[in-house]
Amino acid sequence: MDARDSFLSDALLRELMAVGQVDVLVGVPTLDNAATVGGVVRAVQGAFARHFPRQRTLLFNSDGGSSDGTPEIVRSLGPADADTVLASHVLRTMHRISVPYHGLPGRATALRVVFAAADLLQARAVAVLDPDAQGVTPERIAALLTPAARERLDLIVPVYPRAPDDGLLVSQLVRPFVRAAYGYRLSEPLAVEFACSGKFAAHCGGLDAWDADVARDGVDLWLKTTGLAGDFRVAEVNLKRLETTTRSRPAVPDILAQVVGTLFGCLEAHADTWRGRAGSERLPTLGDAPAATPSAHAPEGRDASDALRRALRDLDPLLAKVLEPATRAALHQAAATQPLRFEDGLWVATVYEFAAGWHRRAMRRDHLIRALAPLYLCRAAAFLNELASLSSPAAGASRLETLGLEYERAKAGLVERWTHSE
Amino acid sequence: MTQQIIDALRQAWTTFLGDVAAFVPRVAAALSIVVAGWLIAAAARAAVRRVLGWVHVNRLAERSELAEMLRTAQLPSAEILASRVVFWLVWIGFLLAGVDALQFRSLEGIVVGFVQFVPRLFVAVAIVLVGVLVANFAWRATLLAAVNARLPSARLLAAGLRFVIVTTSVAIALEQIRVATAVVLTAFAIAFGAVMLGLAIAFGLGGRDVAKRLLEQQFTTRGPRDGDDMTHL
Repeated sequence: MDARDSFLSDALLRELMAVGQVDVLVGVPTLDNAATVGGVVRAVQGAFARHFPRQRTLLFNSDGGSSDGTPEIVRSLGPADADTVLASHVLRTMHRISVPYHGLPGRATALRVVFAAADLLQARAVAVLDPDAQGVTPERIAALLTPAARERLDLIVPVYPRAPDDGLLVSQLVRPFVRAAYGYRLSEPLAVEFACSGKFAAHCGGLDAWDADVARDGVDLWLKTTGLAGDFRVAEVNLKRLETTTRSRPAVPDILAQVVGTLFGCLEAHADTWRGRAGSERLPTLGDAPAATPSAHAPEGRDASDALRRALRDLDPLLAKVLEPATRAALHQAAATQPLRFEDGLWVATVYEFAAGWHRRAMRRDHLIRALAPLYLCRAAAFLNELASLSSPAAGASRLETLGLEYERAKAGLVERWTHSE
Repeated sequence: MTQQIIDALRQAWTTFLGDVAAFVPRVAAALSIVVAGWLIAAAARAAVRRVLGWVHVNRLAERSELAEMLRTAQLPSAEILASRVVFWLVWIGFLLAGVDALQFRSLEGIVVGFVQFVPRLFVAVAIVLVGVLVANFAWRATLLAAVNARLPSARLLAAGLRFVIVTTSVAIALEQIRVATAVVLTAFAIAFGAVMLGLAIAFGLGGRDVAKRLLEQQFTTRGPRDGDDMTHL
């Protein structure tokens, strides 16, 4: 008995058998997305009709138990709703399945079902879309899917035009950390929309980590790093960043616990791979870059010196378990500067020592990451201050490149600490 | 008269020698119990240490901060400490059994008392250990939550919570081993009540404005949280 039989319901298996095989599968994992899912479904149908008219296609909606009628919307929108003329030219049936998934609630289970369905249907290309996104177009879906369907690339991740002050957790921690660790300059490791080959979907679907924290808490990051760690052809595609419906925003410590915890978990899962890599390579990038978005923040004066001093004083017993004495001393020195100067080298050392502390379980892991939150906020504030003093967006981009290089330069220390704590 | 003295002396010596003759085997038995007890206790110590090594007790102690607590108290590692405790409990049990074998009337029942005391001691130690672990967990969680929420006096808040939990667990443990039960309970009730009353008065009178501000912040529309003016993802 296949392991996937346990989380694929009989009804779903019957529907999949009725479909047979497909060339292209688009997965839409949903949970209460009635406001936006209609637009996504129409765009998928448009993409199938315009860009894959000769392919066997499937729109696969894996729903987490929506109470706002999301699955009904997915089922009710016919091909004619997308583009009547083009839909009439489609040479193959455009299949559509909408099912509730079984198992632990969350995006990871939804994606696992999508990957299992893709594997069973022997799909050559799979795309996963963000059901919250507004303004998805057929061209956008085609831009994601085509490299997987026709150019045999295994993982296609979007690149969004971002101002240097946009997405600070990504720019200050996740992106440069992934770059240094895995050796590839992946711009959006947390992107929720992506495409992949059937081979990659089958590989990931067969992994044991789906029920582990690393997949449950941050399945998107885990999938991207799995692609970078494995023998897969990864590429990026330039896409415009779309607005998403506003949902309640978690607090910074909760965001960190989820994102940074997953990042460290990925390092543990891929420890045999990343430690041997040095430097970093650019990934092939497809499509034209859209216009850069303007800065998200007004250049305003913020001083986090006092906040850093208070954090260092209050959290000293916890930081002493995680950080080297030299790093703590340097943090105290930085806190004495006004306005706060939180140098790249110090920030990278702090992050790497937290990663090593997480690995050797210096304390409860969620507590450890929450202890990083005030330091991250201080670093982010110091970085925004620094950006405000720079002359152009290009200088900001260059500043981020310098940070990426610092992560790479200091990686040997992380490897040593990581290996030592095993 | 002389004959009576001689008879009394003979009687006394006969009784004494009889008692000695009866006592020497009991001493030998007691010594054998003590020696055998030491060997069994040593074997139990080795076995406990090995089992605890297999289940990585030291690593668990490091994760739960028990190890740090032991280091602060200048005690050996959890594995060694637990094996030593087992050694001494077993050996003291045998020592008391040896003393009992001597059949001193004044020491009768001491073994029974010890056997009744050991389970209570174990429960008391377990209560203190669990109390300290819970206190440490609560201290860290409170400290992190308070620092991330930028509450004033985060350390004081967390340390106060830890103190209350540890004190409560120690009072329960002392009550368990029946050490000055009435005094402990009364002292605890008075101290706890005094602290709470002091806090209530301090907060209600001295910090009325602060309390008002905090409650307003808690229950009215919240202003931007720390980092809310930045985009993180």
